[in-house]
This record gives sequence, C-alpha cells and structure tokens, in this order.
Amino acid sequence: MKQKIIDRAKELLTSGEIGGFLALKQEGVHIAPHLFTDPAELDMLSLGDGQGLGDARYPLVKLLYNLAERFPQEKFGIMVRGCDERALNQLLNEDRSCPLRAGRVVPVGFSCPEELAQACECAKPWPDALVAGEKTEGFPPPEADTSDLMLELQQWFGEADRCLKCLGCKNSCPVCVCHECTLEEEAMLPQRQLPPTPNFLFTRAVHMVDRCVYCGLCEAACPAGIPLKKLYRLVAQLVGQGIPLVGAAPRPQPQPPAQL
Amino acid sequence: MAGLAAAFGSGAMTNSIEELAGADTIFVIGSNTTAAHPLVADRLYRAKKNGATIIVADPRKIQLALTADLYVSQALGSDAALINGIAHIIIKEGWQNQQFIDDNTEGYEEFKAMVQGYTPERTTELTGVSAEDLYFIAEKYAKAPAGSIVYCMGITQHTSGVDNVKSLANLAMLTGQIGRESTGVNPLRGQNNVQGACDMGGLPDVYPGYQKVDVPEIQAKFAKAWGAELSPKAGLKIPDMLSGLNDGSVKALIVVGENPMMSDPDQHHVEQALKKTELLVVQDIFDHQTAQLAHVVLPGASYAEKDGTFSNTERRIQRLHKAVEPVGDSKADWEITQEISNRFGYPMNYASPSEIMDEIATVTPQYAGISFERLEGEGLLWPCPTQDHPGTKFLHAGGKFARGKGLFHAIEWRAPAEVVDEEYPLWLTTGRAHVHYHTGTMTRNSPSLHALMPEGFAEINPVEAERLGVSEGEMLQLTTRRGTIQAKAMITDRVRPGMVFVPFHFMEACANVLTNPALDPVCKIPEFKVCAVKLDKAA
Repeated sequence: MKQKIIDRAKELLTSGEIGGFLALKQEGVHIAPHLFTDPAELDMLSLGDGQGLGDARYPLVKLLYNLAERFPQEKFGIMVRGCDERALNQLLNEDRSCPLRAGRVVPVGFSCPEELAQACECAKPWPDALVAGEKTEGFPPPEADTSDLMLELQQWFGEADRCLKCLGCKNSCPVCVCHECTLEEEAMLPQRQLPPTPNFLFTRAVHMVDRCVYCGLCEAACPAGIPLKKLYRLVAQLVGQGIPLVGAAPRPQPQPPAQL
Repeated sequence: MAGLAAAFGSGAMTNSIEELAGADTIFVIGSNTTAAHPLVADRLYRAKKNGATIIVADPRKIQLALTADLYVSQALGSDAALINGIAHIIIKEGWQNQQFIDDNTEGYEEFKAMVQGYTPERTTELTGVSAEDLYFIAEKYAKAPAGSIVYCMGITQHTSGVDNVKSLANLAMLTGQIGRESTGVNPLRGQNNVQGACDMGGLPDVYPGYQKVDVPEIQAKFAKAWGAELSPKAGLKIPDMLSGLNDGSVKALIVVGENPMMSDPDQHHVEQALKKTELLVVQDIFDHQTAQLAHVVLPGASYAEKDGTFSNTERRIQRLHKAVEPVGDSKADWEITQEISNRFGYPMNYASPSEIMDEIATVTPQYAGISFERLEGEGLLWPCPTQDHPGTKFLHAGGKFARGKGLFHAIEWRAPAEVVDEEYPLWLTTGRAHVHYHTGTMTRNSPSLHALMPEGFAEINPVEAERLGVSEGEMLQLTTRRGTIQAKAMITDRVRPGMVFVPFHFMEACANVLTNPALDPVCKIPEFKVCAVKLDKAA
C-alpha cells in the first residue's frame, strides 16, 4: 500500500507537476508531517501507523493550507485518507479567501483498514482519489437518542468541567482555519477561567456544524478525554444538519460576484 | 524528596504515570493537577472513567475537585494533621495492613502511639474537614485493591514540607499501598528535567545517583573517575547562597536556567543579595529579571537546538533530538560548562552528549544500563542497572524498599511559620495558573499564551469582595511583612472567605514580594504556600 503512494508521489515530483508532496515521515520511531521535495527522501514516508493503526495522524490539510498561503505560486501533492480528503474538500468548498484551489492540489489517497474504520466510526474510510488499497466498508455511527434532550445536555455540562482549555481540539482540527477565533474572544469567553464555561465546548460544537469531517483528531488530542466527535454529531443532529454519510465532493469554484 | 527518601530510600515517583489510570482509589493532595500536570490529570480522568474513586484535598477548590468523588478543603498548613487523622481512623477501625507492616517496615509502634492524639474531633478542629469525610477517605484508601497518592508543591512548600511527605509515606506503609502496579506515592515534578537534574547530583549533598558526598568510599570513587581531588563537605542550598552573598562569604554566582528574582520568596531580599555579587553569571535562553542584574549573560540553547536527554517526573529518561541549529551565539549547556571548565584548567573534551551519558552510566548505579542507543523511542525508566535491564515501572516491588525496611516517622503537626493576626488577618497562598509556566520567562514570550492571561490577579471570595466593596477586575492592594503588591481582583468561590490566592508568574504583581522565606529545617524549601496578608482596595 505504502509503495503505491511513494510511486505516485515520485512520479508527481520528478515530472515537475508538483513542487512538494505533503505526507508523514518516519525517523526512528518518530512520525511527523514532512513536505517531501526530494524524491530520494520518499523511502522514509509513513502512512501514520505507529504503535497502532492510524495512531500517528496529523491535520495535514491544515498544514497544506498554511503552506499554500506561504507559497502562493506552488502546486502541492498531499497524502490523504478518507477523512483528510473530506477536510480538503471542505476547505476547497468554502466561500472564503482560501489559498487552496482545486487546481493547486493533487490528492494521493489510500483506504483505511476495516478495523480502524470501525474504531473511528467512519462512514467512508476511503478517499475518492484512491491510489492505494480497496474501498473498505464504512461504519456510520448510530444517531444519538435525543428524546430526553435536557438529560443529554446535562451530561455534557459535566464533560465541560474537565476541559483544560489547551485548545488541542482547535489546533488539531484540519478545518479550523479562521484567522480570528471566537474561542479567543475575551468578551465571548472569559480567557483566564478554568474550567471554561460550557459555552466554550458548545461554541466550538456549533461552529463545527456542517464543517466537521469526523476525523477524530480532536478527541485523540484531548487530554481530558472529552468525546468531542460525539458532541459535534449531537449538535449537528440537533440543528438539523444530520450526519454526512459520504464526504462532501468539491463544488465548482464560485465565480466572483458581478460588479454592481 | 528528602522526606520520601528517608522513609523509602528513594525520593522519586514510585509509579509510572500511565499506572495511575489503573488505580482504584487516588488521593490527590496539594496538587493542582489539571493546571500544572495536565497529562497526569489525563490519567486521573481515565481512572475515574474506569470506576476509580478520586479524592481531592486542597485548600482551594481546584478544577479536579469538580470531578472528584470527594473534595475536602483543609485549612492552609494543616496537611500533617489531616493525614494523621486519616491514619488514626484506619488504625482504630483495624483497616491497616498488619502483615505488610510486620514484614516490611520499622518504627510502627511510635507512629501508632503518636496518631492516637489525632481523634476525628481534634482533626476536624485543626483542618476543618468533617469526621464523615475523614472516614470516607480512610476507608476508600485503606480498602482499595490499588490505592495511590499524588502530591505536589501544596505538600512540600511549607516549613513542615519534609514532615508532610513523611506523613504521606506513613499512610502508604500503614495500608500496604506501595510496591505494586498502580499502587504507591507519587510526587509530581514540574520541570521537564528536574528529576534528571537531581539524578545527576544537582543537589548540594550528593554526586550523581544520590551518592552522598560525605561517604569516603563514594568520594574516592568519584575522585578516581574524574581524576580530581573532591571536597567531603556538602555544598550550599539556595537560601544559604543568598545569605552567603549578603554576609560576603559568597562572592560569585552562576545561575543556569533559573530566575531566582521571581522564583524565590521575599523578592526584595533576593535582589539585595544578588546586587552584592562580585560576579553574577546568568545562562538562559531569554532575558529575565535576574539576567538584568548579571555581569555576564551566556546564551544557552533551547530544547529544539540541542541533543541530549530529559528525565521526567516518572523517572523516564527520554532522548532529545536537535531539530534546528542554535540561534546566534547560543550553545548547548554542556558545551558552555565544558568551555568554562577548560578555562579553569580542568580539561573536558566530550565530543557529544552521548559520550557524557556513557560516563554517567559508569558512575551512576540507577543509570548503569543506559546508553543513547537504548533510549530511542519511549526511553527507559530508572533504575536500569544493566544493559539488558528493561527499566523499572514501579519501585519497592513486594515491599522490598530501596532502604531495606520502610521507616515510619512519628510526626506531629506543626503550625505554619506565620499565622494570621489582627494586623494581617487573611491567609495568602500562591500557585500556578494553567496558562503560564513558573516565572513566565518562556510562556509570557508566547503571544497566544499571553492573550489567554495577559496579567496577574488575586483570587478572593465574594464575602471578601463585599466587605472591601471591590468588584471583579478592580485593583487590590496586598501587604505582608515583606512587601506590597497590587493585583486585579478575581472574585470566585474557588477560595474560601479569609483566604487569598495569587499566581506567581507575573513580575508586575509578583507573589514572591509577599511570600515568607521561612524554611523547612531539613531540605530548606521555603514556605511559599502560606503566610498572613492584609487586603485593601487599591487607592
């Protein structure tokens, strides 16, 4: 599986189609994001399986966003899982001053094994740009029972008590790219307070409606073990956005509005 | 550390961090774990999820209290009374582990006689903790299949710091809650490498591996290894250095990676001492208040700019890899030390930190099996005595203590050095906030952390706010016998009426202008955690 990704990345780099390939690199036991520019380096590429399956994942798409901003002329390749591709499409689709444009990014995808898909409750554990692996079965999560909403929400207030406000959820989120973040607004959320008011969790949850790609990186990052993905699903469900069973596909680039 | 070493023979965390997630009862005392050790808090949260009972004892209603099964707010400086009171109930109810006591410990009878005096009635009077809560703690801890204690500076930064630690060690031996998986006494260390600094002899009375300088055989061993004549006398502790500067017996000071102008108690006294140095050398990565006073500043390299190891709170020796070259003229600390030594005429020519580790292994029993090769990955937990030893997850296995038999200490509670009176009617305690680290040398240079908490504050109870006519964010004036500061009021029931909390990260509202430099008689740790203060609305 890995070799196919390496081969494709090598092809893209040597043909000059892309200036760099964003993926993971393994040195010793350490796996970290790396922008490969030299095809010879690609032997050190890692899919992100360290001690366990998919336990060394990173928000590569967010890093790509930053790279694209810094190098506005370059074209990039990026290694993607199903969730990474959903995040990529999410950013490509957003009507904002996104430095990512479909033409600037070449996704090179691989599928996740069933075991990981099940652990992640992932509805679509493979990307459309599938280069390595087979389309594996998805495991969409059951809808939350919201018949007793107050009871459900009260449990979440208890979860909020544990929040250490490390902002790991925000920093690890592949689609969290706002230049100004509500979570850092003193007027909205008193900054020095610990635990933060439940507002902190719920504000972020509302902002994730229709944006969350359910990659679970926030949950993996959370030192307080707060089941954030579950919260984001619940809130999305409550505001009627439901659970996306398949990732958003890229929409055609919007035309600039006509001058009035 | 001195307290735990006296009881068990080793002063470090007895367990690895991960094991805490598997404990059945965890007694957290004097540790604001979520703010100061979030990754340990992660294990406490996981233990709770696994069904563990979490008990928190802290004068301040810290965040962990919100998730705890029981939270008690003991009076400031009453820890030894609280612990003795718990031991009293355990013995009275016959919940002690007599087999463990008989097989593995000494000094039990004296201890047992001493705690007779700590009846629930008297303990409640001294600590403010109800008898019902005392029974709950005693029973849950004593009867847990795996009971662990977690403590931090709230226990140690007192004039009775060493005694408090010995009292906790008593509790663990009394119940046999030590020497098994997820079962032990765990002091949390703050800095990433403070355990390593102590391991390497960064204490005045020991060589690497806690080998005493005044034991002739040990002294001979190091004299031979280093090819030098060595002093048989213990060196000076920090407070002794400062008083030495004041009386002229100490002339020069090298300060490496520390900011005593803010981290030591009674700031005015510290400044006076440092200004008397004939030579003050400060080696650090950022400018700070102590560096401002220095004659020479040596730029050290940050963690990303050097190779080496860090030994963390759970005795884990971890490899550090250089990611970028040192900025400007800065150098790794070992290179600076080596160059200074060479100019003093004692030649050192280590080519790399790996070579230094090889030497450490030859003279330090706990590190004897360690080499850089073996440290790749997750590192190793000492003791690791041989090259094929896998490292040690928990200490004192099967009640076989490092010192032989575990030693009970019959420790009476002692009041803090300074108590409230008419002139200074409120209790002051100091500590940390989740955003900043220590004196802020590093964290206050970070724009995102600065934005979260740009300035200092003083926590007061709504009762106090009403009495003073102060509202949230208004300026308070705090005065102790040492000095005066001003800080914004944060009104919260985290602190009780009659109590004030000030974090010590902020130069402009410097908690250590106020704190009491009274010392523990054994380890000379200052009483940062309690003194008497007067509170006014700032004019």
